Amino acid sequence: MKRFRTILGFELRGYFANKVFIGVTVALAVIIAAVLFFPRVAGFVTDLFGSEDETPDDGTVDPGDLPVMLISAPDEIKDTFLGAFSSAFADYNVTPTDADAKKIESAISDGNAECAFVLASPTSFTYYSATEPLFDDNPYMAEELMRSLYITGTMVGAGISPEDAAQVLSVPIEQNTVTVGASGGDYFSNLIYTYIMVYALYIVILLYGQMVASSVATEKSSRAMELLVTSADPVSMMFGKVFAACIAGLSQIAAIFGTALVCFAINEDQWGNNMIVRSIFDMPLSLLLYMLLFFLLGFLVFAFMFGAIGSTVSKLEELNTVSTPVVMLFVVGLIVVVIAMSTGDIDSPLMRVCSYIPFTSPMAMFTRIAMSTVPSWEIAVSVAILAVSVFVIGYISAKIYRMGVLLYGTPPKPSAIIKALRNQ
Amino acid sequence: MELEFKDIKKSFGEKLVLDGVSFSAASGRAFGLLGRNGAGKTTSIRILMNVFPADGGMILLDGKQIDYKSVSFGYLPEERGLYPKKKISDQLVYFAQLHGMCRTDAVRAVDYWLGRLGMTEYKTKRLDTLSKGNQQKIQLITALAHDPDIVILDEPFSGLDPVNARLLKDVVLEVIERGKLVLFSSHQMNYIEEFCDSIAILHGGRVVLAGELREIKHSYPRNRLTVRSRDAERIRADLRLSGDIAVDTDESGALTVTLPSPELKGSVMARLTETYDIDGIYVTEPSLGDIFVEYAS
Repeated sequence: MKRFRTILGFELRGYFANKVFIGVTVALAVIIAAVLFFPRVAGFVTDLFGSEDETPDDGTVDPGDLPVMLISAPDEIKDTFLGAFSSAFADYNVTPTDADAKKIESAISDGNAECAFVLASPTSFTYYSATEPLFDDNPYMAEELMRSLYITGTMVGAGISPEDAAQVLSVPIEQNTVTVGASGGDYFSNLIYTYIMVYALYIVILLYGQMVASSVATEKSSRAMELLVTSADPVSMMFGKVFAACIAGLSQIAAIFGTALVCFAINEDQWGNNMIVRSIFDMPLSLLLYMLLFFLLGFLVFAFMFGAIGSTVSKLEELNTVSTPVVMLFVVGLIVVVIAMSTGDIDSPLMRVCSYIPFTSPMAMFTRIAMSTVPSWEIAVSVAILAVSVFVIGYISAKIYRMGVLLYGTPPKPSAIIKALRNQ
Repeated sequence: MELEFKDIKKSFGEKLVLDGVSFSAASGRAFGLLGRNGAGKTTSIRILMNVFPADGGMILLDGKQIDYKSVSFGYLPEERGLYPKKKISDQLVYFAQLHGMCRTDAVRAVDYWLGRLGMTEYKTKRLDTLSKGNQQKIQLITALAHDPDIVILDEPFSGLDPVNARLLKDVVLEVIERGKLVLFSSHQMNYIEEFCDSIAILHGGRVVLAGELREIKHSYPRNRLTVRSRDAERIRADLRLSGDIAVDTDESGALTVTLPSPELKGSVMARLTETYDIDGIYVTEPSLGDIFVEYAS
């Protein structure tokens, strides 16, 4: 135990004296602070230098500054549709035209107009644009506008007054949504902070896991291992390194998230009703605790594996190749989770299975807890499997480590490692 | 304190590395573990230090199975290596603590040894800023700072300049005088001859020769003489007349005379001393190098 503490202390001092570690932590904290203080600083600058270049107070914009939208329509409907399009597309300078299709196309390609609608009838139009259709919602707006005009026209024709017709078409529907889940809140806000947490888990576990691997590989390549194996038992060495990396990772998360929380508390009034930022900081405490739990267990599983991998290489350069399978295992977990989040199918069979596999459960189960309703027993089983895996993987990794640190030359194949473990 | 290797066996997979290795060494003396590359020296050392267990045999300390909780080791590995990017004092204190010292004692011991080896000025420097010889002195401190009972020095003199080699010799003699058990492993036979009272030569995983170095040398027939004289050529011609006496010249120009029997050495020495102007004449023992080549090839 004394040796474990000595190794833990030495490794921790190594992290906290590492200029890159300190630099990255401070830089991230400063960036987050800068973002969260931005509205306050921007407001201060505006107050200081006035607002000469701003839009006039009455909100009017010179139509000459707006992009041109050409409208071509038969004479009998031209005035009606010109007025309607001018109102609906307020961001455009809607200009009538009698030009044919060829001239309209050349006007757009010459840059004299941004887009054009050629209406053949009240229910038919051709849209011309230089923008990719995927990113252009003008046709949909025009479709809605023309449908609305057609329905109104039909209703007026049937004897209903234009005002009544307009009222019928725009009747407000009261909408309330209740999300029934462990985390509460709405899906959108849950999605944002779950994304942030999952990526934080991914980055920190992978980053610090690889730090453990490179620390072991460096000791081996510098031959410090020759002395270390005669000074401390492999279990103390492995656990000391892994726990030091774990504490360093948690400290970095605490520093970065702590800065964010303090800065947001100071600037909360400045962010007003910004839903995205508010949703991040409205994260329930229980989720934070779950994240901590899954970070700890997930980190230990992967750090032990990375430690064992680090012990099998002779040179630091070999580390990337040898650690690829473990990295891929983790990346697969991330991909499954991200796909589930983007499709909204959080409790898909694949996600359920991944919630119990120790290599994917830290991210998968955390995501399910954050964005769905997971029975307590499922969480308990997932955490129990993960906790048992920590001990089993830690034990096997220490055995591989004990064998690997004295092997030099080509890294052993997995089959050779298994054979050697059996012989032990 | 007496250390005894008793019939130690070790295999790695199919390869038998140690095949019943036995030898003994005592504290207050230096023991030389010799052998060609791959003979099993490092494996023996690692088994002694409990890095991995032997497949068979026993290691005894004062006649009892060695208890690793009550004995401490200091090790200077042949493959030198520490943390190149870390401060020297930090890593020396770390290794002393790993060997069971409290931080205060470790700092004190490291300061003492840095001073003893003239390295105090480098205390706060990074290891990779030091020359190879100075790095080796730092490595030696990791073997000695925690005042171990058994000191294992694997090729301790390789890469040292004559001044540092002299300094290391003094330190090793100090350690031996303080009653520690010092185990040397080296290919530099002159150093082994200088320090070690007893040796074991490993070859192919077996001990092919072990015992007191003096007795080993005495066990060789004492029929070889070294003769230094300005009349060397006349002596050579004279001895050749005897027919069964072989005469050669060594690297220093002295004559090496091999007699057909050790009993003749008294009469031959007396005759040469009376007849010629002799600067020196003595019975020649085989060097450790000669013995090593004989047993390890």
